[in-house]
Amino acid sequence: MFRNNYDNDSVTYSPTGRLFQVEYALEAIKQGSAAVGLVSKSHVVLAALKRNAEELGSYQKKIIKIDDHMGVALAGLAPDARVLSNFLRKQAMSSKMIYNRPLSTSKAVLSIADKAQENTQSYGSRPYGVGLLIAGYDETGAHLYEFQPSGSVLEYYGAAIGARSQAGRTYLERNLDTILETDSVEELIVHGLNALRDTLSQDVELTFKNTSVSVVGKDSDFKIYDDEEVQQWLDKLDSVSNARNRAGDDDADDNNENQETTEETTTTTEAATTEEASNDDNANEATDAPAEDRMETDE
Amino acid sequence: MNHDPFHWGRPSQETYGGYNYNIANASNHQQESQLDNFPKVHSQQPIITGTSVVSLKFKHGIIMAADNLGSYGSLLRFNNLERLIKVGSQTVVGISGDISDLQQIERILHELEIEQEIYDSDGGHHLRAPHVHEYLSKILYNRRTKMDPLWNAVIVGGFNDDGTPFLKYIDLLGVTYTSSTLATGFGSHLAVPLLRQLIPNDIDYENIEEDEARKVLENCMRVLFYRDARASDKYSLVTIKSESNEGESTPKKLSYNHETELKVEGQSWKFAKDISGYGSKQL
Amino acid sequence: MTSIGTGYDLSNSVFSPDGRNFQVEYAMKAVENGGTSIGIKCKDGIVLAVEKIINSKLLVPGKNKRIQTIDKHIGVVYSGLLPDGRHFVNRGRDEAQTFKSFYKTPISVPHLMDRLGIYVQNYTCYNSVRPFGVVSIVGGIDDDGPHLYMIEPSGACWGYTGAATGKGRQTAKSELEKLDYETITVKEAVKTAAKIIHQAHEDNKDKDYELEISWISLEETKGRHEFIPEDLLAEARKFAEEEDEEDEEEEEDDEEMES
Repeated sequence: MFRNNYDNDSVTYSPTGRLFQVEYALEAIKQGSAAVGLVSKSHVVLAALKRNAEELGSYQKKIIKIDDHMGVALAGLAPDARVLSNFLRKQAMSSKMIYNRPLSTSKAVLSIADKAQENTQSYGSRPYGVGLLIAGYDETGAHLYEFQPSGSVLEYYGAAIGARSQAGRTYLERNLDTILETDSVEELIVHGLNALRDTLSQDVELTFKNTSVSVVGKDSDFKIYDDEEVQQWLDKLDSVSNARNRAGDDDADDNNENQETTEETTTTTEAATTEEASNDDNANEATDAPAEDRMETDE
Repeated sequence: MNHDPFHWGRPSQETYGGYNYNIANASNHQQESQLDNFPKVHSQQPIITGTSVVSLKFKHGIIMAADNLGSYGSLLRFNNLERLIKVGSQTVVGISGDISDLQQIERILHELEIEQEIYDSDGGHHLRAPHVHEYLSKILYNRRTKMDPLWNAVIVGGFNDDGTPFLKYIDLLGVTYTSSTLATGFGSHLAVPLLRQLIPNDIDYENIEEDEARKVLENCMRVLFYRDARASDKYSLVTIKSESNEGESTPKKLSYNHETELKVEGQSWKFAKDISGYGSKQL
Repeated sequence: MTSIGTGYDLSNSVFSPDGRNFQVEYAMKAVENGGTSIGIKCKDGIVLAVEKIINSKLLVPGKNKRIQTIDKHIGVVYSGLLPDGRHFVNRGRDEAQTFKSFYKTPISVPHLMDRLGIYVQNYTCYNSVRPFGVVSIVGGIDDDGPHLYMIEPSGACWGYTGAATGKGRQTAKSELEKLDYETITVKEAVKTAAKIIHQAHEDNKDKDYELEISWISLEETKGRHEFIPEDLLAEARKFAEEEDEEDEEEEEDDEEMES
């Protein structure tokens, strides 16, 4: 594989103004299992798929509580998520200590956004390799934010990160209107699990072992449902395996839709490869440059 | 005594030995090494001072008053100081004690307001009185643990997160307490008993109308002017109220009214001619 | 860019033989694809506006604000790498606060820009950092009246009467050149800004956008930097869209005449 000259560190722009190291960090999120989040007027639900490294190993924790009114779901490097969530916990405690006030969700996410940005502008540190969905309920209501290693945070009605998350996003987009209108927490969780289910690969289905759910909202503190506790929500699903993989599926539209999205992803990947290829050309140019020049730069 | 014109007035060395500069921090001609032997001293008293801040809750909000005088000891040095500071949109901070420390607190509060209300604000998350109070109490207590206090007593007034009236005190020691009737300094002796005639128990403020509260507060300012030699008859008054239906969390129609240059009305000094000495003997 | 690939563009703070700092130029490229931002210096104040491209319908409308406040009287809008913009603004806030704690008076806009210019320039001097990936338009009112500045990744910082950056900057600039800055008021400029952003969006029409406008004026906002009221924003956007239609009709008419 050819090395791209502009992707060695996060302090070098490519000729098109891109930061490859930062973009690669965004790729790291996709290596992690999926997490989805969605909001109604009064509640936020996070749902995540846990992985275990081996049959006898325990499942990786995917949802972390920050404070009574806030929590995060992660996809990507779990240790990086621990660093960020510890930082958020500190912020939450300071807010209580100094202002006698729960930390607002927007302040919380912006604080880690600015922290992440620092790592993208100086040599010797790497960008964080984790994406977060931050769920919070504060005096301005229920909020869901997506955090990226680039230092960008955006507020969403619904979001999905991690492996095959596009399918989850598609589900959320298609059901956005019903999700926003719902008054029932149960319905919100079911939508969350449906979205999560759509991200599953062929041989996997949602079980109480690999599924994590959390809820926070009006009059209810942040609560994580794991293991046996999550079964009550799985019982409410019509199926625990991905619609694409179900044999004799009558929902043909779904199938097409999913295929389309897969195609889309492929095209973008292709586009990216072309881009990289052109950069590789540049790299070749560099090799073709007069020897003297190279000597100078090498030194 | 030494009569040398350059050392005049000093105890003579032959009789008393060398002069010890360490006595009572008598001089700053000390050597560096000697300074280490002496404890570090910060401010020991306020310089220009403002006297009482008086305040109480009523049915729909709070009302607070403080006069405009800055005293330099017993000298009435300034007559145009504003000691009631607005923070955010619905909180007032009344400050008595050292005026330069008041000005420092004012700057700290403005910085707080900018950080909390202006930076990255996409609506909501208003800075309210409990937050301002907690923050100020942390600052005052922190300074006192350094043995370098901000020499003030402060009352914060406004609304709780649930929309009920809020009134709480902090002083230079970091002490805090709350009540429906609060006053600092001389006012805590002279004004609070008058306020408590109106509101005997903390919960009673719920039955008090604004005009009743205001009448008692005006009376307090009059009594303080009579009896507190550091008080003036010119004062400012802040009323913050919300016309909310009871039980509703968000205050409707919130108003912050700051009146300045009010005068103590209905004074009568006829009795003054009969007072002699310290006032214990009546002619 | 003939010198691409000669190795002089691989590290910040390195001059190429013809005296260019490529990394700074590349940073500028990051800006050129961002949503359009504009600033207008009016007779009585400043108007800032930005085109927010909507990349997903799951985004919450009206949130994710792009225009920020440095101090009560100073606002910023930027195009490019948005996290870098936040870094820039945070530095601006620090500068403004430090100045105020020293001098007990709000920082003047030219002085703030001088300091920020130095800060941004510093990020072009070392190979351990990269230049800012944003062009920021900063506007404010101080004792000397309204000021408008634009600052680039190189640290270059100039005063403007009308400034534009981002993808639609060329269109926006040519529209800004038509304004009469001696007489225009913020109230009028709000509508104009909406129209300009709308026109600049033409180049990027496949995606929806959200309009964000803020202003600073002694009369309208008591010298504070604030978002314009909701109703005014709706009015401005409607005006921009109607103007657009009219223009199109006119063009059609012209074409008909010609034929």
